[in-house]
Amino acid sequence: MKVRAIECPNCGGSVELRGYSHSLSAVCIQCLTVIDTSHPQLTILKQLQDANRVRPLLPLGSRGRFGGKLFEIIGMQERQIMVDGTTYSWQEYLLFNPYAGFRYLSVYRGHWNFIEPAKGLPETTTRLGKPALKYQGETYRHFQTAEAETSFAMGEFPWKLEVGQKVTVKDYIAPPKLLSEEITADEVTYSVGTYQTGEEIAKAFALTTPLPPATGVFANQQAPAANLGSAWSTFVLLLLGLFVLSIILKVISRNEVVFDQRLHYSSADKESAKVTDIFELKGRTSNVEIESETDLSNDWMYLDMSLINTETGQAWDFGREVSYYSGTDSDGRWTEGNPKDSVNIPSVPSGKYYLRIDPDMSDDAGLHSASYTIKVTRDVPKFWLLWLAVPLLMLPALWRTIKRGTFETQRWAESDYATSSSSSDDDDD
Amino acid sequence: MNPLAGSDRFRGNCPNCGAPIQFTFLQAVQTVCKFCQSVLVRQGVDLQLVGKVADPLIDASPIQLGTEGQYGGQAFQVVGRIVYEYSGGRWNEWYLAFSNGTFGWLSDAQLEYAISFPVQSTAPAQATRGVQVALGKELFTVTTFTRARYIGVEGDMPFTTWDKTESNFLDLRSANQRFATVDYSEQPPLVFTGNLVDYDELKLRNVKQFEGWQ
Amino acid sequence: MTNLFLGNLKYWLYGLTLLGGAGVAEWRGYSFTSINEHQVAPKSVRDNPGAYRSHYSTYTRYSGGK
Repeated sequence: MKVRAIECPNCGGSVELRGYSHSLSAVCIQCLTVIDTSHPQLTILKQLQDANRVRPLLPLGSRGRFGGKLFEIIGMQERQIMVDGTTYSWQEYLLFNPYAGFRYLSVYRGHWNFIEPAKGLPETTTRLGKPALKYQGETYRHFQTAEAETSFAMGEFPWKLEVGQKVTVKDYIAPPKLLSEEITADEVTYSVGTYQTGEEIAKAFALTTPLPPATGVFANQQAPAANLGSAWSTFVLLLLGLFVLSIILKVISRNEVVFDQRLHYSSADKESAKVTDIFELKGRTSNVEIESETDLSNDWMYLDMSLINTETGQAWDFGREVSYYSGTDSDGRWTEGNPKDSVNIPSVPSGKYYLRIDPDMSDDAGLHSASYTIKVTRDVPKFWLLWLAVPLLMLPALWRTIKRGTFETQRWAESDYATSSSSSDDDDD
Repeated sequence: MNPLAGSDRFRGNCPNCGAPIQFTFLQAVQTVCKFCQSVLVRQGVDLQLVGKVADPLIDASPIQLGTEGQYGGQAFQVVGRIVYEYSGGRWNEWYLAFSNGTFGWLSDAQLEYAISFPVQSTAPAQATRGVQVALGKELFTVTTFTRARYIGVEGDMPFTTWDKTESNFLDLRSANQRFATVDYSEQPPLVFTGNLVDYDELKLRNVKQFEGWQ
Repeated sequence: MTNLFLGNLKYWLYGLTLLGGAGVAEWRGYSFTSINEHQVAPKSVRDNPGAYRSHYSTYTRYSGGK
């Protein structure tokens, strides 16, 4: 069978019918007349306006391979929908193979879809309270219902092209797939689209110039981020590792009390500063914890302390204020402060040490005195560095989740469900 | 038993142009003379002229009389054809003779294919799009309602179509890719069930050739 | 299972480095807070604890002058 050409009833120009007798309408490229080619007596269906002319991204007549089959572009439609007063338009290309039949390529803002007729009938269902369709084992969530109309066309079509007529289209998504439902009075048709990138399309048609890049997120575009579940599983495993590490550190810590003495202070003392006996800090360079426990009652005490190495002369100076007040009022018993104090000195090398303690209390007229215990423990396991690691470990999984969330928000922003609190459920995986 | 074999198939001559006629299968009752496009119906041992196919039926379907293929593990041959026309264009129903002696239909509408077989089933008097119908113990949903005219025939038919002009048809589908159609051209309506198929699945041979296409 | 490790390789490297660093820091007894640490002549303090002052470490010598 050969391709034949017809004569445009309007301008007499030659119009090739590359879809053979399947083409029921064709647009004359010279005068933009839509011709009814279903009968030998050609009639005019519509006159397209040059003002609406759109330049196709893929030239008519070009051939590309999909699923191993060669298809030729024989028609192009510019279609549009109106949502909240804004017009959104996209292009649909008609692909033809004399044996395999018709397919479609749609493009919107650089996002492509390869569309073929659905075989089975989808089942109506719901997902997360929203309407959905179940088709071939996958659940497609409702994305958008809109009335589409053709605003411009080029080439030929296996139906009588209607420009300006509206048809209701419902789109359902299961990224990277899209299920479209077109309903008229007498017929319902389903078609399945598979997301394609501009690069894939350019490759299929061996284009020399690249296609416009994709902007925004399209309905059935797959999220780029990796599996969220595995990221969080990794976090949990690392957390487990952190737990194991804590156990190890606790086990290898000495936690050895090297000094424990009860001392006394009175404001009547002339010279209150004292030094302790020498004690040994053993093991590797690690921390030293110094705890003071006082019997203060409605009073305060200031302990000016130094930990001094007898051999190297290294000293660590620190002052601790300890206070404790209590009483009863209309609400009952109250307390303020703490009679106990604890301080941790990091990275103290091993060796022989002593403490210099200079306590001080209020220098008002009254007699202030207190008893206090000083306890020095070597190599106390402190886990706060590991605790700090927990949020840091969570960061990558959290970051991925947030990125996915913003991606999904962008996806649903163009749907019928665009609200400020859009779904952050996975449309992927 | 291959219905296409055997010398007991009906033979005769076209009452209009005298050309030799041989039906391709035993059960055929109607045929179209390849030379003068006369529609002939078998009456006992005679062939009666009942009409003429006016419209040239050449279209771009790759399937033609004599096309062979496979379905359900059985080989088939295309022996007959009915062409319908409706508001949205035309489609073909190809009559298939299977090697196991059964017959079926290959529906060919805009190169979307479906194979179906007649089933004994009651059909509703009428139904519209979206209605659920039980046919042959299966549940289907009406996807298309079509009012169509008989445009022409080709090859051999197990029934006569020459007196059929216009009729209603229903296309139905189910979730597991099952396909059904109800033909209201007879009373009671004819019911067929089957499957939607891809071109490749049928492994067709002896198909039309298209210039520039492999 | 291997996908869990391969698909999150960077995450594992980051996490294990973090744990390793935290572990070493803990083991060496590091901390963000630091207690005033300095050198002082030991003999004088042991014999005369009252004379010791913490400003021995915190006093900044006058660095001006001609």
